[in-house]
Amino acid sequence: MKNTMIRSITLSAAVLLTATAFAHDPSEHMKKNEKPQCAGMDHSKMDMNDPVAQAMMKRCSMADHDMKKEGGHDMHSNMQNQKTMEMKAADHDEHQH
Amino acid sequence: MSSISAKTCLKRVTILSGFVLLVGVAFLYSGLYPMGADTPHFRATYWVLETLREQSVARAAADVVVPENINASDRLLAGGADYNDMCSGCHLKPGKTSSDFSLGLYPAPPNLALSHDEHPHSDSEEAADKRRFWIIKHGIKASGMPAWAPGHDDERIWNMVAFLKVLPSLTPEQYQILTAREAGDIGHH
Repeated sequence: MKNTMIRSITLSAAVLLTATAFAHDPSEHMKKNEKPQCAGMDHSKMDMNDPVAQAMMKRCSMADHDMKKEGGHDMHSNMQNQKTMEMKAADHDEHQH
Repeated sequence: MSSISAKTCLKRVTILSGFVLLVGVAFLYSGLYPMGADTPHFRATYWVLETLREQSVARAAADVVVPENINASDRLLAGGADYNDMCSGCHLKPGKTSSDFSLGLYPAPPNLALSHDEHPHSDSEEAADKRRFWIIKHGIKASGMPAWAPGHDDERIWNMVAFLKVLPSLTPEQYQILTAREAGDIGHH
């Protein structure tokens, strides 16, 4: 009886310790996805040899690329929606005639 | 004659040491020392703890090797986003002079957005990098600074060190751009 209790306490402690030792994913402490505000960036005043300027340019070009991708995707899905609606309308017309 | 006085002297020192030890133990168990974070340490206690911390960190960080590409721009993007998520609450950011944590923690966490000249450490840049890396990785006992090693590899910690090097020179606008995370961007590894 005593041995069983000791074993279960030891096992619980081991499980707790193992759980805390697991590495976590970086996304766990991501507060929010905040978009970089690149609009106010003055390129003329930037020294392109400066790592900070280089990093800012990279971040903003990545954001720009993502925006274009999102826009392109939206356009594509809008076109598809329109096509489906046109097909449905044509189908509906056929049934009516 | 002189041997008797030496014996007497030793006896007195032993009694005095025993008495000091006894008083120390009595004080320890009395619960009289104020442990609240809103009551500062005595000046002597603070000096002892600070000296202990600084000497220990300096010794432990001496063997750390700083990567050659510590100033690479890619490191700033990965380290910036992590700094904003994990550190800025206590160590602040450009344009922010206080937070609940910076006001309430004791000892107060250093404002890392201030220039290096405004910090009390007069290390060389390399020594400062080693120190930053070691503190982020291992944390500081009883200070509120956690050890980030569990769950964060060395490369990721060096990215944060790289960001800390440029942080005091950033404007709030530059900080916003460097620390913004895009959807699906969880840092470079």
